[in-house]
Amino acid sequence: MISFWENLGHRATVLFWAFADTIAFSGRVFLRIFRRKTYSSAMREVLVNQIYFTSVQILPVFLLVSVLFGSLLIGIVFTLLKEFGLTDFIGHVLMGLIVTELAPFLTVLLITLRSSAAINTEMAVMKVNREIKTLETFRIDVIDYLLAPRVINGIISIVLLSSLCSIVLLASGILFSRLIFGMGMDVYTKILLTSTDFSDIVIALVKCGIFGFFITLIPIRFGLQASHELTSIPVVVSRGMVNVFSAILIIEVLSLMTKLF
Amino acid sequence: MSRDLKVGLFIGGTVILLVAALLYLAMGKGVFEKTHTFTLSSRSGDGFAVGMPVVFSGFDIGKVAALELNDEGLVLIQIKISDRHVKWIRSDSSFILYRPLIGSAQIVVNTVNLKSPPLDESKIPQVSIVNDINDAIARIEPVLEKVAQIAEHTERLTRNLSDPKGDLYRVLGNAEKISTNLASKKSLAEMAISDEESLRSLNESLKKLKDITTNVDRLLVKVDKMADRTDEQLYGSEGALPQVNVILKDMIRKLQKLDKTIDNIDKISSDASAGTKDLQLLRSDIDDLLASLTEMVKKMEDLVGTRKTPEFKTP
Repeated sequence: MISFWENLGHRATVLFWAFADTIAFSGRVFLRIFRRKTYSSAMREVLVNQIYFTSVQILPVFLLVSVLFGSLLIGIVFTLLKEFGLTDFIGHVLMGLIVTELAPFLTVLLITLRSSAAINTEMAVMKVNREIKTLETFRIDVIDYLLAPRVINGIISIVLLSSLCSIVLLASGILFSRLIFGMGMDVYTKILLTSTDFSDIVIALVKCGIFGFFITLIPIRFGLQASHELTSIPVVVSRGMVNVFSAILIIEVLSLMTKLF
Repeated sequence: MSRDLKVGLFIGGTVILLVAALLYLAMGKGVFEKTHTFTLSSRSGDGFAVGMPVVFSGFDIGKVAALELNDEGLVLIQIKISDRHVKWIRSDSSFILYRPLIGSAQIVVNTVNLKSPPLDESKIPQVSIVNDINDAIARIEPVLEKVAQIAEHTERLTRNLSDPKGDLYRVLGNAEKISTNLASKKSLAEMAISDEESLRSLNESLKKLKDITTNVDRLLVKVDKMADRTDEQLYGSEGALPQVNVILKDMIRKLQKLDKTIDNIDKISSDASAGTKDLQLLRSDIDDLLASLTEMVKKMEDLVGTRKTPEFKTP
């Protein structure tokens, strides 16, 4: 019985310290983002490369997925609204559900699956190959050179891609509102303007920034926890990805709570 | 195209799109528009909320910016109206808090005369309240009273039905008696008549009626056959009617010929009549001739006069 409580206490302590450590680590990286010295030419090159790999390379596929998924989603939602006689709520559903909730969520899922896993693996491999040790030996700041560009890339990419996704979804909405409700573009625009709140958009953008920060920081953090053995790579990658998805859910719930209060 | 350029284009393009969308939204919502603030008053703040829309002819023209309580206990409602919509707010405008049964409340502006002077921002008009919920309750009350009456009647009916001395119990008792009676008899007729002799007579009558029906059926078959035969004799190819038809046609043909003959006779008769007229004329001519001859003879006698016995031989 005692050993059970001992075990539980030990796990809780480990979890708490891991969480505190992650928060402290996040704080350190976050502060570096606002430091002018961080933006050296080498760091800027890495940042451009990261944005290229995360956003520009994926852009055609991302737009295609957004159009297909968005059209499907809007078609279903509009049909349901029509069936239940909730036509008056089109604007609120479009802005409150699709633009501010589903577009960021879809974006963050796609980027997590593609880039977070890659970053996690990349960091773990660098740790195993002692590349990070080598960088430190040459007195190169790992946070400035490796971490900050990836985290900034995450923030920029998620915010911009999510905005693009929202614009694509709203454009799909024009088509579907005409097909399903026979609604003209003027009416559609008026409904959108009436039901849009700037606070919702600000919350959505901030949420995207937080998503971007954590879906890159958590994989980096777990990647750096790899030992010098190759077998540790899949372990830290899987742990990192599980934690990324947990973080996505927590941020989503927190943003909903912010809207409630 | 270099990697830097691609990234630059992506960031620049997306940021421009995002900013343009936000600017469009801001302009659509009148963020950059000049607003006019008017203050309204109400006895109660119930139903008012910050952000509530101000509506004119079904269009949002502004919203409630603030609510406060003044020293006299009146609720002051500050509404902000955008510059392009301030023309609808006039000195004779009335403000109504409309609380629909379903949906959010709103302040409705009614302006009778749009040419009246604009409302002074320092004036504080009062808001009247239209409450659909209270109206609905007022309308529902008589209905509820009727429902209560119906419930009372239903209860009375139920009480009567459940009364062992009531009509329903009596009817059920009678039905039970009938069922029992029916169960002890062989048929409904036996139950209805009760007398066995009469029932037997009824059965015999029914049997006779059956025989009569059979005979009538047989007769009808015969009549049917006769009718068939008559039909053949009358309408068949050798029947009477086709022959009569032929005779009649022949008669019509002959009558037509006779008609012509009669016409001829008629003509002859009229010719004869005309001839008779000519004979009369001839006769009168002869008469005239004879008269002339007589007169001539007389004249000759007068001329001759010497002859004693003149003789003339007439043709």
